[in-house]
Amino acid sequence: MAMIEVHDLHKYFGDLRVLKGISTKVESSEVVCVIGPSGSGKSTYLRCLNLLEEPTTGQIYIDGEVITDPSVNINKIREEVGMVFQRFNLFPHMTALKNITLAPIRVRGLSESEANDRGMSLLRKVGLEEKADVLPGALSGGQQQRVAIARALAMQPKIMLFDEPTSALDPEMVGEVLNVMKDLAKEGMTMVVVTHEMGFAREVADRVLFMDEGIIMEQGTPEELFSNPQNERTRSFLSKVL
Amino acid sequence: MDVLQSYIGHIINVMPSLLQGAVITIEVTSLSVFFGTIIGIFMALGKLSTKKILRIPSLIYIDFIRGTPLLVQILLFYYGIPGLISSVTGEPLRIDPILAGVVVCSINSGAYVAEIVRAGIQSIEKGQKEAARSLGMTHSQTMKDIILPQAFRRVIPPMGNEFIVLLKDSSLLAVIGVPELLKSGQLYVATTFASFPVYIGVALVYLVMTLTISRLVHYSERRLGVGND
Repeated sequence: MAMIEVHDLHKYFGDLRVLKGISTKVESSEVVCVIGPSGSGKSTYLRCLNLLEEPTTGQIYIDGEVITDPSVNINKIREEVGMVFQRFNLFPHMTALKNITLAPIRVRGLSESEANDRGMSLLRKVGLEEKADVLPGALSGGQQQRVAIARALAMQPKIMLFDEPTSALDPEMVGEVLNVMKDLAKEGMTMVVVTHEMGFAREVADRVLFMDEGIIMEQGTPEELFSNPQNERTRSFLSKVL
Repeated sequence: MDVLQSYIGHIINVMPSLLQGAVITIEVTSLSVFFGTIIGIFMALGKLSTKKILRIPSLIYIDFIRGTPLLVQILLFYYGIPGLISSVTGEPLRIDPILAGVVVCSINSGAYVAEIVRAGIQSIEKGQKEAARSLGMTHSQTMKDIILPQAFRRVIPPMGNEFIVLLKDSSLLAVIGVPELLKSGQLYVATTFASFPVYIGVALVYLVMTLTISRLVHYSERRLGVGND
């Protein structure tokens, strides 16, 4: 079975139909980028994958386990699904290191020193070893987002979800975050990335989904989708952003 | 001049008992805000709960306490409830006025603190909760480690306010004979009829206490960097 399987996912906010039947699979180690105009439902789709949004109907399987069943322990599922947010959402009252070690200690039951070792090696990986004892407020946006990625990785998840991870960054900081994500993709992490960075999607993604009006309008390899889009909507969207 | 001299004399005479009363006032207020804070945190969590069995009792408690005068609550607790119990058991029941005062003021303060804490919790960005939950942390872990520590800093100014309000309102406990600041003044007036200088003295002691507390709150706000996050 695929790492993520989604069957006929629908999501309503009141009367507003945001997702109108999404079905897709993401294989292990696959990197999938989701692109599309704002309001197309791509963030909602991503947030359904760890149940930050509750699907109205449809089934989602994560690593073979159905997560849309009410009896499932969602906390257990979320341990395996890391998420990186547009606005970083670091905990402002904790140092960078503490941001990273909190969940492994509380949720995975690591000792403080095990968690610190893991936290420091992740900070090294994202190039912020010297910022371990700094509060998030004293970090740049790009640094905060790299800490946020390290925080999610500290749980050693099987899947990483990225919700427009560079959209809130100043342009000169986009690259440092994308580089960390590229490394992660090379290491074989299963990733679903909602993004407006077409260059990243083209270079790193195994598959690109184009979403509009709550459905997947078109999907394919970056080659297929960017160079030879079949759908009229895809063509018009790409002509505006490329 | 004779009048002024006699006023000054009365103020000097009454001051030691006013200060003793002020100590009781501070003790009763501090204990009440302390217990009120504990009650208030649980009631705030109750009011924000999705479970009806937790939410509805909190709502009733907060609405009842905030919707009725403290003076009525004091009289109800000190005279009304013991009267009810006596008429059932047939035994007379008396409560220590200071104990009764602390209990009533704690219950009263709890309702106001609940609203302060609720507002503090709700002022924390939704992304904080989402980040914690996305890491697999439970609702209660998220509250304890992420939401409440951040809310705590934001509730310091309104909590300081609550302390000042309760410090002044604790003067209502004079009606059940708690020997606090106002009662101490009243006792002196009862024997000397020097109401003007004594009540001016009482007012000044309250003023010194409230100004001191608001300075302390202001200082702790700066120390904790409230508003800098």
